Parts: sequence; structure tokens; C-alpha cells
Amino acid sequence: MIGWLAFAAFFLTNVGIYGILALGLNAQYGLAGLANFGYVALFAAGAFTAALVLVPPSPAASPETATAVAGGLGLPFPVALAGAAAVGGLFALVMGAVSLRLGGHSLAIVTFAFAQIFGAFLAGEDWLTGGQFGISPVPQPLRGLVGSAVDYLFLYLGVTLVIVAGCFWLAERAAGSPFGRVLRGIREDETAARSLGKNTGSFKLSAFVLGGVLAGLAGAMWVGSIGSVHVGQFVPIVTFNVWLAVLLGGIGNNRGVLLGAFLLICIREGTRFLEGIPFLAAASAGNPSLLPSLRYVIIGLALILVVRFAPRGVIPERLRGRGQAAPPEQIPATEERR
Amino acid sequence: MDVLFQTLVYGFATGGVIAVAAVGLTLSFGVTGFINFGYGELLTVAAYTTYVLTEAGLGLLPAAAAGTAITSAVAVGVARTCYQPLASRGPLPLLITSIGVAFVLQNLVRIGFGGEPRGFPAPTWTPWQLGGVFIPKLQTVIFLVAGVCMLGVHLLLRHTLLGRTMRAAASNEDLARLSGLDTRRIVLVTWVASSLIAGLGGVLLGASQGDITPSVGFEFLLLVFAAALLGGIGQPYGAMLGALLIGLGVEFGAAYVSANYNYALAFGVIVLVLLARPGGLFGRGGGNAVPSEGGTP
Amino acid sequence: MTETNPPMLAVAGLRKAFGGLAAVSDATFDVPRGRITGLIGPNGAGKTTTFDLISGRHRPDGGRVRFADADLTGLASHLVARAGLVRTFQIPRAFPRLTVWENLLFAGADQPGESFWHGVIGTRAARARERALADEAGDVLSFLDLEHVADLPAGGLSGGQRKLLELGRALMCRPRMLLLDEPFAGVAPALIRHLVEHLVELRDQGITLLIIEHDLGTLVPLVDRLVVMHLGSVLASGEPARVRDDPRVLEAYLGGIGGRG
Ligand SMILES: Nc1ncnc2c1ncn2[C@@H]1O[C@H](COP(=O)(O)OP(=O)(O)OP(=O)(O)O)[C@@H](O)[C@H]1O
Ligand SMILES: [Mg+2]
Repeated sequence: MIGWLAFAAFFLTNVGIYGILALGLNAQYGLAGLANFGYVALFAAGAFTAALVLVPPSPAASPETATAVAGGLGLPFPVALAGAAAVGGLFALVMGAVSLRLGGHSLAIVTFAFAQIFGAFLAGEDWLTGGQFGISPVPQPLRGLVGSAVDYLFLYLGVTLVIVAGCFWLAERAAGSPFGRVLRGIREDETAARSLGKNTGSFKLSAFVLGGVLAGLAGAMWVGSIGSVHVGQFVPIVTFNVWLAVLLGGIGNNRGVLLGAFLLICIREGTRFLEGIPFLAAASAGNPSLLPSLRYVIIGLALILVVRFAPRGVIPERLRGRGQAAPPEQIPATEERR
Repeated sequence: MDVLFQTLVYGFATGGVIAVAAVGLTLSFGVTGFINFGYGELLTVAAYTTYVLTEAGLGLLPAAAAGTAITSAVAVGVARTCYQPLASRGPLPLLITSIGVAFVLQNLVRIGFGGEPRGFPAPTWTPWQLGGVFIPKLQTVIFLVAGVCMLGVHLLLRHTLLGRTMRAAASNEDLARLSGLDTRRIVLVTWVASSLIAGLGGVLLGASQGDITPSVGFEFLLLVFAAALLGGIGQPYGAMLGALLIGLGVEFGAAYVSANYNYALAFGVIVLVLLARPGGLFGRGGGNAVPSEGGTP
Repeated sequence: MTETNPPMLAVAGLRKAFGGLAAVSDATFDVPRGRITGLIGPNGAGKTTTFDLISGRHRPDGGRVRFADADLTGLASHLVARAGLVRTFQIPRAFPRLTVWENLLFAGADQPGESFWHGVIGTRAARARERALADEAGDVLSFLDLEHVADLPAGGLSGGQRKLLELGRALMCRPRMLLLDEPFAGVAPALIRHLVEHLVELRDQGITLLIIEHDLGTLVPLVDRLVVMHLGSVLASGEPARVRDDPRVLEAYLGGIGGRG
């Protein structure tokens, strides 16, 4: 019973973290039409930042630390969250400043390349990131507040859900505001948007940074939940997992992409039960990479099928018509009319 | 002196492998209009089928030929079932689909052979010795094979009716359709040509790397992209030159700077080229190869 | 017409080539303030490209663009629009998956809510501006007779309705001058008459108009001045009656049909 509850808490925490990631990619792609194929780099930037903020100054003092890192800052969790969000946003700013002038294909390739290079950097710079081994253990945030490990899972789930709610609010407000309207227009036709007086470059950069901030936050939540971080967690498939969540749930719809994150984690965790199939269990005994590989095959197939047969996702983007405007009688308009 | 010379030979060999793959990629881009992220997996499939066939007792050359043919069959099957139905929906759905294809193929290979490196059955030749300088024989042969392949592509494009129609279709699909060319057939033929080239590229990649893993092609893809972009996407001759530059850059970077940052180098090249000349170094100024506005999915 | 006022728009020697083809080789003309000017010429004459050069969509290879005493040559298109010079497109470029209503609000100028924090928090200034824009958009909808489609995605409109929306969006920018590229093409004849009245009304409000149009029967009575382009350069310009009788213009149109049409 406890086992199942713990699993549920862990499962939902994962849904929450991928939900934040999906909200961030949705701000970039769903809202502004920017195909970021290197999204995982922003996630990784947030995760490593949070780890470095959380790890105590001299981890070498403790014998069980396998890490080569010189030491972190040993600061509390809110600082880690803020730092991860800031670094995620900053990374997005750099990535966007370099690549956003390019449209379509080139943007996809450059962002993809950016993530590959960032991976090489994370693997290569041992002094900062612990190289292939990464940083481990990272102290569990807020661990002192509750006693048992299971209670902690629930506490952490609660924290995650609060942060998801905050991100959802931010994303919804942004999408429904004039800011979001300009982004959606740019997504539809950048030339037209420019001809109507919008500085599309700076709007696209803003959307990119918003996505980076959310990815950074998700990175911090991820580190807190796993308790360690290493470069192998941030392979390209992570980017496309998030893409799958966004495409599956509904491009441009924040509720949809949260549902998409839930469905994604169902697919991912659901494949664990493949072990229950005797034939596969026997086969995977001889080939340990069988089940993880099968999972990726399923995710790849899901990408292909969603794009082909359900391009708008489960909950399509909703239209915003006249009803959305505030009733005109509330406050008389201040500006004179033409 | 010795190191310099060896690095040069390795650079040309790596450049040759990149060139083969980049030309194949760029051919398919020219006609289908999207960058195929699943292209690296075609190299992987070719390398593994060649490996399997030699394990089964075939000689390297027949195994490589059969592996290339099998790769082409896989590629055409994928194009028919996955890409063709999306042809009218713009580049992004195709891009995403090609990612999906990449993951499926890569992980099917991993299911079949596990994740550990397998030794590619490249011949173990001793280097030639020319007056105190060692010339790696395998690398030289790889470069020569790549060169012959490039020559073949050149002859195909310039001197056959098929090549000319392919180039016409690549430069303007609407125009090609209007002038009565059978674009569907050209697309199919291009897929065959581009995947045969990918097959050869996979064999050369396996031979040059010695060990192959299921992600060998995917990891190589970035260098291929860099070369294709450097030369101007969709432009085979530009891609060949771009590939040689990238290959030399990678090998000299590894020999004289650090092997860790090979990809960083490639990436830097991609970014600089795209920012300075969106049409590629050897491409038309800012032509239609890289659409820069209206990223509508 | 006497030209005592400085012109609203003055273009001089504009040039643009695409590859080897000179789309515009020498466009030189003035547009008087507060008037309607027509820009005509056979297909491929370079009219749309001239708009592209004035509006900053393409950078000219040479020449000058002056607008209300400011030099706009080579300025980015969003800055041109903000200077009060707004263009529409020959092939309408409505945002297909946004509603007609949102298409209009999009174009509203000076909305502080377009900055991220103002938008997310929904500051007073942003809300007040949104209400003002909603009023303006309501006016534009009834002006263009589009009220019944306000909540539909723009992608579902007919060709004529899209042309109207294109004009409506430009109006939401509060332009001082409009560049309209074939505003009557595809619009129902009954609506064209209505639209002509509205264009006159806009002129009477002080907005300067430069209109590209092939429907000369509708255009010529409407304009105060005509500019004729042919093969990338200006052939004639002046009062409609004089221009129409210019033998070179006749020849360009007749020759144009045989030569380049
Ligand atoms: N982006 C472009 N790239 C290449 N050629 C172009 C481009 N835009 C226009 N042209 C060419 O420039 C010439 C002028 O075109 P333009 O659209 O300005 O003519 P127009 O006078 O508006 O014609 P129409 O009355 O048919 O709209 C044409 O030959 C056209 O093919
Ligand atoms: Mg035109």
C-alpha cells in the first residue's frame, strides 16, 4: 500500500516536472512558433545550477561523495530555484540571440547543435560539473521538515504542484495578454506582424527567455527529486519527450500540454510494466538495454503517429474572440477615438 | 612533421566520410524540402548490417554492398510510410517525424545488438612508409572511396537526364511540376540515390571509427549538418567542400587543441556561417534554401 | 493641383534587383499630403516591389524614401509602420488561426500590455488601453461590415473579407498614410462601392492614401493623382486626366499585354 502511494507521489512529481517543461516549450513553440530542438540544454542548465547552489561548500569532506566538484554554495532551496530560473533564462537569451534570426530549419539545427555542445561542455568540465559522474548526492531540499522518506515524497509532490500551479498561472496570463497575442501573430506570419509595427525579434527573444526560465525551474525541481545530476540525464531524447508532451496535449494550449505531460509519463512509466510480460522479461535478462530501448521505440512511434494523425493534440488551442474583451461600459476609454 | 602529415590524412578521410553523408543529406533536402534528422540512423543501419553480414561469413565488400542495398530499402520504406503522407504540410511535421524515425531505428538496433561497441570489420592494414613518413593506408583508401563516390554523384547530376531533372526539381518543385516532370518519381529516385549514398557513408564511417554503437550515426549527424550548412543546404558541391573543411578542422582540432571540443568547433562554424551567409559559404547569397521568415508549422 | 505643401511621401531613384532581374529600376514620385494617389501599371511593373521598398520589407539597392520630412530609407519595417506609414499586402496576410477580433487588436499601437510583465500582471494601463483598442476594433468592424465574423478564425474568411480585414488591421495602427495593394481585388462589387466611400472618408479625416489597383474604372474617379509604372520605373505621374491621355501610358498598357503579361 505504502509502496503504491509512494509510486503515485513519485509519478505525479514527474508529471509536474515535465508539465513545467512542457509549459516552457509551449511558450516557445506553441505561442511563438519557435522550434527549439535543444530545449534539454535549458533544463540541464537549471539542474546543474540548482545542484551547485544546494551542495555544501566542501563535499570532499564527506567520504561517500563520488564527485570531483570543488564544492557548491550550500544555500537553501528557494535560492536554488531562483538561480536555476535565472540561469535558464540567461541561457535562453544567449541561445536565442544567436539563433532566432534564423527561421524554420536553421533554428532547429542550431538549437539542436547548441544542446549537443552544451552536453560536451558538461561532460568535459569536471571541475564544475563533475564530468561523467556528475554531482551526487545533492542534499534533498526541505528534508528537515518531515520525518519519514514517504512523507518526504508527499511533501516534495506538494512543493512541485505549487510550483506547477505558479508556472501555469504565468503561462496562462502571458498567453492571454496582449504580449501573448503578439507572439501568436508572429507565429502565424512574421512579415505581417512586422508590417504592423511589432518588433518581432525582441518578442521572439522574450518568448524564448520565458521558456528558458520555466525549463530552469523544472531543472531545479528535477535535481531536488532525484538527488543527483549528471550529463547522461540530459540527452536529446529529453527534448523530444517534451515535444511529444506538447504535441500530444495540444500545441498552444497550456491545459493541453499539462495533460500531454501526464500522458507522456504514463507512456514512460507504463513501459515499466512490460517487464511483467514473461517473454520480454526473459529477453531482457540477456539484454539489459532491451526495455529502455523499447521505451524509446514507443516514444519515437508516438511522435510519428501524433504528428500524422492528431496534429492539434488532445485539447487544441482555443480561439479568443470578442467575448474575451472587458465589457466596454466598465470604465470609459481614456484615449480619444478616431 | 609526422603528426602534421598524419593529421592531414585523417582530416581528409574524415572529411571524405562527412562529404559522402552530407551530399546524400543535401540531395534529399533539395527534393523533399526538409532536413532529415533520421539520416544519421541510415548510416547506423548500413554499418550494422555490414557488420552482421561479415559475422555471418560474407567478405567485407559483398557485405558492404548488401548492407547498402538493405539500407536503401529501409530508407525508401520509411519515406513511403512516414514522410510522403506529410509532404503537403510544411517542414516542421516532417522534421518531427524524422526525429521519431531516428529514435525508432536507433533503438531497434540497440535492441538487436545491445549498447556496447561492436568492432567494425575494417581491414587492418599496416601504414605505408614513405621516406620516414607513415601514411595510414585505411584512411587513404577511405578518402579515395569517398572521392570516387563524389565523382559518381557529379557525373549523375551533370551528365544524366535523371540528374538534370533532379536538379530542376530541387531548384523549383512547382516549376518542375508545371513543366511536366513526374515529381513523385523524381522524389522516389532521389530517396534511393540519397540512401545508397548514406549506406556507403555508413560503411566508411564504421571503417574510419573502428567501433560502432547504435548511436554512431546520430552523433555523426552534427558534423554532417555543419558541412551541409557550410556549403549551402541543398547544394551538393558546396556540401563536398564544406565537408572537407569540417573534416580537417575536426582532426586538427583533436590533434592540436582538444578532442573534447570537436563538436563545439562544428557548432561554431554552423552559427557563424548561418549568421553571415544564410545561403551557405558557397551558396547563393541568401537564397531560398533557408527560409528566414514566417515559421508557420 | 498645386504643390505648395511638401509631399507626404517622396521617393527618389528607388532600385531593387532580385538575382539578375531588376524589379524596380528607377521609382521616383511624390505623394501629396491628404490626397488619394493611385499607383498603376501592367503586371510585373514593380508596383508591389516599390511598396516593399518603401515599407522596409526589402532594403533598396539605391534611392531614397522620405516620409513627412523623415528619411525612412532602409528602415526596418516595424519602425516604418510606427512612423505612421502602414501597408497592406496584395495577397492578404491575415493571421489564420487568430480570430478576426484578435487580428484587429493585434495591430493596435502603444499597448503597454505587450511587454511581458504588464501583460502578465494586467496593469491598469494595459487594461485601459485594451478597452480603448476594443472600442476602436468595434468601430473598424462595423466600418468594414465584418461584425458577423468577428469571432471566426481569419483563416476561414473569403478572399474579399480577408482584403477588408487587411485594411482594418492597418487602420488599427492609426496610420498617417496607408499603402494599399489592390484593395478591391476579390471584394464583392456592392462592397467595393461601400469601400470607396470609406476610403474617401479616411482621406477627409486627413489620412494620405497610395493605392495600387488594376480596376481602373473604380480607381481613377477616386484619386487626385496617378502614378504609372512600367518595367520598374515611373512612366508618368500627375492628374488622372492628363496621365490617361499620355500616349506613352497607352502604349505601355497595350505593349505590356503583348510583351510581359
Ligand atoms: N521576392 C522576389 N524575388 C524574385 N523576384 C521578384 C520578387 N518580388 C518580385 N519579383 C519580380 O519583380 C517583378 C516586379 O514584381 P511586382 O510584384 O513588384 O510587380 P507588380 O507591379 O506588383 O505586379 P502585379 O500587378 O502583377 O502585382 C516581377 O517580375 C516579379 O517576378
Ligand atoms: Mg503587385
